[in-house]
Amino acid sequence: MKPSTQVVICCGSGGVGKTTVSAALALKWALDGARVAVLTIDPARRLADSLGVGTLDNEPRRVPLERLDQFVPGASGSLDAMMLDVKSTFDQMVARLARTPENAERILAHRYYRFASTRLGGSHEYMAMERLYTLCDQGEYDVVVLDTPPTRHALDFLRAPERMAGLMDQGVLRWLVMPATKGGWRAIELGSEMVSKALKRLLGRGTVGEIADFFDVFRDLWEGFRERSERVDALLSSEQTRFYLVTTTALGVRSDVQYFLEVFSERNLPLAGLVLNRVIQPPVATSIAAIPGHPEETQALRQALDWRHSMAGGLSEAITQLCGSGPNRLELWKIPEQTGEVHTMTCLEALGAYVPPSPCVAPEPAATS
Amino acid sequence: MTVFSQRIVVVTGKGGVGKTTVATSLGLAASAAGRRTLLVETSGAQHIAPLFGVESTGYTPVALDDKLFTLSITPEAAIEEYIIQQVKFRKVYELVFENRVMGPFLDAVPGLHDAVQLGKIFDLFRETTRWGRPTWDTIVVDAPATGHGLALLDAARNMMELTRAGPLYENNRIVHEVLDDPEHTALVLVSLPESMPVNETIELYERLGTGRNRVQLCVLNQLLQDLGVGVSDLEAAVASVAEPRHASLDEALGFATNWQTRVRAQQHAAQLLREHLPTRHVSLPRVPRHFLETTDLHAFTGLLGAEVTA
Repeated sequence: MKPSTQVVICCGSGGVGKTTVSAALALKWALDGARVAVLTIDPARRLADSLGVGTLDNEPRRVPLERLDQFVPGASGSLDAMMLDVKSTFDQMVARLARTPENAERILAHRYYRFASTRLGGSHEYMAMERLYTLCDQGEYDVVVLDTPPTRHALDFLRAPERMAGLMDQGVLRWLVMPATKGGWRAIELGSEMVSKALKRLLGRGTVGEIADFFDVFRDLWEGFRERSERVDALLSSEQTRFYLVTTTALGVRSDVQYFLEVFSERNLPLAGLVLNRVIQPPVATSIAAIPGHPEETQALRQALDWRHSMAGGLSEAITQLCGSGPNRLELWKIPEQTGEVHTMTCLEALGAYVPPSPCVAPEPAATS
Repeated sequence: MTVFSQRIVVVTGKGGVGKTTVATSLGLAASAAGRRTLLVETSGAQHIAPLFGVESTGYTPVALDDKLFTLSITPEAAIEEYIIQQVKFRKVYELVFENRVMGPFLDAVPGLHDAVQLGKIFDLFRETTRWGRPTWDTIVVDAPATGHGLALLDAARNMMELTRAGPLYENNRIVHEVLDDPEHTALVLVSLPESMPVNETIELYERLGTGRNRVQLCVLNQLLQDLGVGVSDLEAAVASVAEPRHASLDEALGFATNWQTRVRAQQHAAQLLREHLPTRHVSLPRVPRHFLETTDLHAFTGLLGAEVTA
C-alpha cells in the first residue's frame, strides 16, 4: 500500500520566523531523502531567491537538484516550494466541485464572488487548508509542510473548514433563497420575519438580495463543499498530521504561546513539540581582563559579553515557562540565533542540525522487477 | 504637521516588529503632551493593560493613567454594538441574534468584521463629552500586521464597493472620509533594521497608493548601538595580548565582531528605508532584555515624543 503523505503544520505568532523554520524543516527532510513540498503564506521573496526557484506562486516549483546535491551528493529526495494564492485556489475549487462547467462559470462571474473569494472571513485560512489537502491528495509527496497564515485569531485556520461548512449548510442558507411565497416552513423559525427585516435594515436590501442570489448559484457546490470540509477536518485530526509551535523567548510572543497551548489542548490536537527560534546561548566567559593600552577596545568587548549574558540569562526560566515540567513536558528544539539573516540555502541547511527529525519512515528500497 | 495634529494615529507593520510597544509609547507621549488619549487594540489580544499592571476590561475603556486609556475592539463586540445601534431595541437584537441564520449570514458578508472594527474607531473619534468636546483628543490604534492592517484601513472603501448603496454604504462613506484624510488620520509604520522587514515596509508603503500621504512617521525598532570601535581595532587589541591568552578574550571578540557586523547591516537597512520613505524617521534602541521594563517604555516615549510633538 502506498504510504500516505505526512502533514506538518508550523504555527506561531507573527515575526517568530515561521517561514524560515518551515523552509529549514522542508530542506532538511528533503536532504534526508523525502519528497517534500513546503507551502508558505508570506511572500518572502528572499526565501524564494535562496531556494533558487524564482518567484513563488500557487503551483509547486521544484528546487533545482544541483542545489540539494551541494549538501548531499546524489540526494534522493526533492523539494518543491509554493506560495498560497487565495483567489486561484478558490477558483480551482469551484471548477472542481461544480457539477457542470456552466455552473462554475456562473459562480466565477458573480459580482459577489470577487469579494467572497478574497475577503470573506476565514477564506484565507480555508484556502490554505484546501491547498494542503489537494497537495496530499496528489500522492506525490512524502511530506507537506505548511507555514500557517498570520491570522487574527492565530488558530482560526483550524476552525476554517467547519466554519465554511456551517456557512454553506443548506439548512441555514435555504432560508435565504427560498422565495417568500413558499412560506409554511417559516413558522419553524421563530422570529425569522424579524431577522429578515433586521438583516435588510443592517445591510441594505440590495446587499442581502445579492448575497442570497449568490448562494442560490453556489447551491450547486454545497454537497461537494461540505464533504470536502469534512475530509480536510479529518486530515487535520488524523495521525498523518503533526503540529509544531514556533516561538521565540520575546515577551509578547510568550503570552501568545499560552493561548496556542490552550487551543491545542481544547481541540485535542497532537502538538509534536515546540521549536524555539533565535536562542542565545550563555557565554562561557563571565568577564575579560583589561587589555593594557586598549581601554576602548576592552570596554567594547566587555559590553558585547555583558549583552550576551543579559540576553542568555532568563533563558532556562523562559523555557520552563514555555514547555512546562514533569511527564507532560513538551518536546523542545532550540535553534541558536544566527549571525546574519537567513536568506541563503547554506544558512537554511545549517539550521537543519537543530530541527525535529523527518516524520517519514525510512523509504523502502525500490523493488526491482 | 506632526503626528499628533491628527486625532487618529494608526500603527502598523510586519508581525513581530513591536507595533504594540510603539503604539503604547506613542500613547504615553500623547498623554504626556496633555492630550486625553485612547490606546486601541484590534487583534483580540489585550496586551497593553497588563503592561501598566491594570486588568483589561476588553471593550470598555480602562484608565492606565490620568489621561491615558485603553480598550480592545473585537469584531464580535463591534458587530453586536452595531446591530443594537441599528435595530434600536435590545429585545429585537436578542431575537435577531439568537436566530441561527444571523451569525452565518453576517459571516457571509465579506469584510464586515474589519468594517465594524473601523466603524467603532470612527465612533470613538466622533464621541463627545456632554460639553460637546471630543471625548478623545488622540486615538492610537495598534493595528494588525501588514496585510491585515491594510485590509482594516481599506475596510470602509471595500464595504462601499460591495454594497454600492444603502445604509452600510452610507455609514462607510462617512468613515472612509475621515480615515482617508491626512488631516484626521496619521499612519505610523514600524519596521526592524533588517533587510526583510525593511523591504516589506517599503512594499507596504507602496501598496498604500495615494493613501500614503497619511504616513507621518516611520519607526525603526530594536536598533543595535554601535560599539564605537572597528572590528580590526578589536582584533588588533586582542592579538596584542601575549599567548597563551585566555579563551574568554576570543569569545568576547567573537561576540563583538558579530555585533559590529550586525550594526553595519542595520545601518544599511536603515539607509534603504530612509531613501524609500520620504517621511520622518525615528529609531528606538534594542534593549538587552526579553521583558521590556517600564523604564524602557518611558525611554521610548521620550524618543518618540520629541519627534511627534516637534
